[in-house]
Amino acid sequence: MSFMQPSPVKYACSCGILNPINKLFFCRHCPKLHCGFCVTHEIESHFCSNCLENIPSTEARHKKNCCANCFDCPCCQHTLSARASTVPVVRKSEESKDAKEPKDGDSTGEATPPVPASSKPSAVPTTKKMYYLSCLSCRWTTRDVGIPDQGVATGTWPDNECLYQARFNALVEYFQAVVLQEKQEKLEFMRRKAPKQHKFPSLTDRTGLTVSLIRRQIGWNDKVPKAKAVITPAEATAEVEELPASIFTEQLNLRNVTTIAQRHSQPADQPTAVGSLYPQRRSLWIKRSLRCRQCEHNLIKPEYHPTSIKYRIQLFASYHVPEVVMVRCEQPLVPGKSNAILLKLTNPTMYDMTIRLLTAAPPEDPQLSAETTRAVKEEPISSSPLLKTVGITLSRQNSTREVKREVLDASNAEIVPLESEFVLSQRDDSKEFDEYVQLPTEEPKFIVWRKGNKVLVRLQFTPDAELPSSTDVILGFFMQYTYVNTVTNAPEKKEPTTHALHSRVFITAGATEEKAN
Amino acid sequence: MPSENRIKILPKAVVCEESNLRGDITFSSGCVVHPSATVIADAGPVIIGENCIIEEYATIAHRLESGASWDVNNILSIGSHNVFEVGCQVEAARIGDKNVFESKCFVGRGVTVSNSCVVGAGIKIHTSQLLPQNTIVYGEQGLQREAIDKQGSQTLQIDFLRKVLPNYHHLRKPNYDPKKARSVV
Repeated sequence: MSFMQPSPVKYACSCGILNPINKLFFCRHCPKLHCGFCVTHEIESHFCSNCLENIPSTEARHKKNCCANCFDCPCCQHTLSARASTVPVVRKSEESKDAKEPKDGDSTGEATPPVPASSKPSAVPTTKKMYYLSCLSCRWTTRDVGIPDQGVATGTWPDNECLYQARFNALVEYFQAVVLQEKQEKLEFMRRKAPKQHKFPSLTDRTGLTVSLIRRQIGWNDKVPKAKAVITPAEATAEVEELPASIFTEQLNLRNVTTIAQRHSQPADQPTAVGSLYPQRRSLWIKRSLRCRQCEHNLIKPEYHPTSIKYRIQLFASYHVPEVVMVRCEQPLVPGKSNAILLKLTNPTMYDMTIRLLTAAPPEDPQLSAETTRAVKEEPISSSPLLKTVGITLSRQNSTREVKREVLDASNAEIVPLESEFVLSQRDDSKEFDEYVQLPTEEPKFIVWRKGNKVLVRLQFTPDAELPSSTDVILGFFMQYTYVNTVTNAPEKKEPTTHALHSRVFITAGATEEKAN
Repeated sequence: MPSENRIKILPKAVVCEESNLRGDITFSSGCVVHPSATVIADAGPVIIGENCIIEEYATIAHRLESGASWDVNNILSIGSHNVFEVGCQVEAARIGDKNVFESKCFVGRGVTVSNSCVVGAGIKIHTSQLLPQNTIVYGEQGLQREAIDKQGSQTLQIDFLRKVLPNYHHLRKPNYDPKKARSVV
């Protein structure tokens, strides 16, 4: 319907942000809508998007999140591909190599086979495959910057080490030590601080003294001496090299100057001349899994393997929440004039839904609210009081209670609510192929058309009278629908429970008419 | 403009019958012209050098400027070993040797292409300019860079086409032999 353009129908997420349905997720356990902003994002796996190799996270960190085999073009940031070229092996060099080899491998004694080969002068000239990297977009090659061709396609390409690599490594080492030390100090601080909050010593603590207290009583230094990496601080100088004279006299050839993008893609040395561009290791991509912040259930979990695009868990909202599609308005939008809009509703679930369109928020499902409060109550019990005082909870840290945001978007049209609720039948893929027979059924007046799990509804509304011309008319309403939950929070109940859920839907119906003169 | 087409095809050139040729066009030996390639010589003769490949839907146009008329001396000369890839449209004023016009590119009139240049896929060059030797135009913004390494030669491709195209297409017969012509004169 709305391919490659913003959807006119938007749903309010439980965090208060409006999103089209294809960007929303549905947590079956809460059960609520969630968007990308109100879920936790976790890295499932690292992989290279070019060679589709899966790389474990520790290895990825070790390799600085770059692929070992794939390179990006330093010129246009496309992927480089290895090209083979056959190079005739020069006889003379081979002879010299052969002559050298026996010298190196005297002790091994394996140098006998090359000797007859070189002794035959009439042998066919041998060729050897040599590889270079080439960009298919801008035709940059490693030969352009004088990187020698390699005998193997992958793995042997030299790294470009910048001038201050040693210094950089020293700094990294130092700061890793600093971070480690800080962590230790923090831990120590926590350990020292924690028992003080208890009024009485715990049963296991027989002396009531901590290690650091004892150390202090003896008169030792409280702190354990630490081995510290030493770095020489950088020194700033006021002396700057003079500009070369050629910069004033010679004409600048813009083709030899790198662009900003090229410099940024090579952050270590940021070359100014095209000649020092160097193939860059390709950054890894990640597969992401999403988790509900309230109940910590996975919403999205992709399959581990990089070549697979399927999911193990996929709770997209469009599989659970009835989809609303705007078909058309019956009349041009004029402020203050009553109008009607046709909406197509689709039931994606395997259960019949009862839907009501309301202008005010329906009361919360009592069963649901009871469940959520119970979940909140349970939490403090699960984490032990000691850990609580330390500030560490067993559960993940991201399970924060978030402040509920109010939906600020307002409707600027008055909607006539539908007089009754209606049933949206379940999705049945086989029904699509059946011959369609119109059954003479009693339908409410507002239902225009019905087929399978789809229904076309006519909703009457009036744009506000004081709307200026050519402003978007926004229809906002509450859609209450029954949702059959097949997962249960409580283990004693096995049969699926039915919830009456609601979500706010906003429809941008279009701009009001330009006033004639 | 002459009323009829005068198309000279030298021996060893492979010119498919389904190609659209208009005006005075000379194909040197070794050229390969695919079906539904277009060469228009409205303003003057077009001379295409040796071993050029003109692929499907490629257009080489030597168009009349407004108010001008057919001029025998207004020659569009295209050098040797050029490749005009699928769907390119080239109206350049002069083309040297060993250039590649990638798919769907457009080279407007007034552009002079020297030697060993590559116009990337989808690039549009409208302003009249001279592309210096070894220029490569690439990317969304049409950036230019100078290639240091030589472009790979097309001989394998041209040999293959010369073998395959006659199997599936009717060819225009070579109608001009420079040796014979000389012997006549």
